Amino acid sequence: MQIVSNGLSDVGRVRTNNEDSFRIVEGLNLFILSDGMGGEAHGEVASAMAVEVIDKYCATEKEDSAATVMDAAPANWSSQSRRLKNAVAQANFQIYQSAQKNPEQRGMGATVTAVWLKDSLLSIAHVGDSRAYLLRSGNLQQLTNDHSLVAEQVRRGLITPQQAEESDMQSVLLRALGAHPEVEVDVDEVEIIPRDVLLLCSDGLTRMVTEPEIAGTLQAETVPAAAAEKLIGLANENGGVDNVTVIVVRFEDDSNKRWFSWMRRGSAKKD
Amino acid sequence: MAKLSLMFENKLVKEVPIGSRPVTIGRSPDNDLPVDNLAVSNYHARVYYEAGRLVVEDLDSLNGTFVNDLRVERATLHDGDSIWVGKHFIKVDATADAAIPWDTGRKTAAPKINETMVLDTKVRRDMLQQAAAMGERAQFSAGRVKVATLVVLGGKVNGKEFTLTNKLTVIGKSPMATVRLKGWFKPKMAAQINQRDDGYYLGTGDKVPTVNGAPIMGTVRLNDGDLIEICGVRMNFIFRE
Repeated sequence: MQIVSNGLSDVGRVRTNNEDSFRIVEGLNLFILSDGMGGEAHGEVASAMAVEVIDKYCATEKEDSAATVMDAAPANWSSQSRRLKNAVAQANFQIYQSAQKNPEQRGMGATVTAVWLKDSLLSIAHVGDSRAYLLRSGNLQQLTNDHSLVAEQVRRGLITPQQAEESDMQSVLLRALGAHPEVEVDVDEVEIIPRDVLLLCSDGLTRMVTEPEIAGTLQAETVPAAAAEKLIGLANENGGVDNVTVIVVRFEDDSNKRWFSWMRRGSAKKD
Repeated sequence: MAKLSLMFENKLVKEVPIGSRPVTIGRSPDNDLPVDNLAVSNYHARVYYEAGRLVVEDLDSLNGTFVNDLRVERATLHDGDSIWVGKHFIKVDATADAAIPWDTGRKTAAPKINETMVLDTKVRRDMLQQAAAMGERAQFSAGRVKVATLVVLGGKVNGKEFTLTNKLTVIGKSPMATVRLKGWFKPKMAAQINQRDDGYYLGTGDKVPTVNGAPIMGTVRLNDGDLIEICGVRMNFIFRE
């Protein structure tokens, strides 16, 4: 499978600093996006730390050490999913510790959505309200559950999705990295097929741009860099009240290419 | 005074006002609103006033009481709500009452928040409770997200029942599909079901599935009891506690 990806981050139209961080680790096919919080520039400390710790953990930690899982993960999870989960737990602990040691960092925290592809299995780990979406045969599907108060209310049937969108409590998170020494990490696995498009984004996108607009943009702009730019442009046009960060990943079938190169080789021999 | 109108296939069957005494609903003829249907329990549910609010209470009925599609044990009723018992529904007309505000406790729970914040466990519990008090002191059945199951009624697939616990469930011939279609010329990814905050959504893949006989357009939200048909496979979508 061929993978083309691009990420972009923008401060938006209202804020003065960008607390989002993201990283694309091409060698590992690892994609991390984090939205920091906690004023006075410490939000970006937390989000940068989340990205750094997860990248380092996934790149260096040996397979076996993943066996020492901190809690009983379902046995059917792949080792890569366990590692990614541990990486997120590690990031949480380090942000928490740093905030405990440095009084000026008190209250800092971050969301994180990290995805890791091996062969065709995509592991998704996340905490907070940054989302992962999958565009497949024209349908945009959210792969993560927001850990926000309003999303929880919708899940419990207390309010409708429309009421959630209008609520002034949208910024209230139920889980984030750095708030407690331990955090519950949501992990999921999805099998990727060619022509899938994956989007990771901070809430600065999803609050400004509707899902049909996102789906339309991802379908119209087949180059990830162009799609990322367009999405950020849309968020800013619609108000840009928060930092906006997106990572667009496109999975392409490379069998076509092989087929054609084989034909070319075949014809070359004949000549 | 509020009134309840029992409807069947959009025709009015009976109308009763709600006074100080509870209005009872059930199959037995001595109910205030008798519903002649085998899916309805003898004493199915009742509606009454409590502290100025109109409340519906399920009386441990076999097939449940639904308010606007949501199965409830107890719920506060608002003007225009529909209570479903079996195939009958009861319209709630509370226009004469003082409006019951929807957002009690919610708007006052916290000032407008621009900065993202995290709730610690105690505050979180309180806020969720307040939020729960907003509509009612309802205990929605099980009080949590219900998990759906696909029950296979016919066709060649790799199982009889599939519990939809994943965010994304693929129906197709591909080895990664949860519901794996068998046989020649079946598409790899025929359709998919996405679990979202407010329910399950069926989307097209290489084929267009039908729901209750009608082909879907884009994605549709699935309801309890829906019949899904794709590539000769028929499945029943149901919620289990």
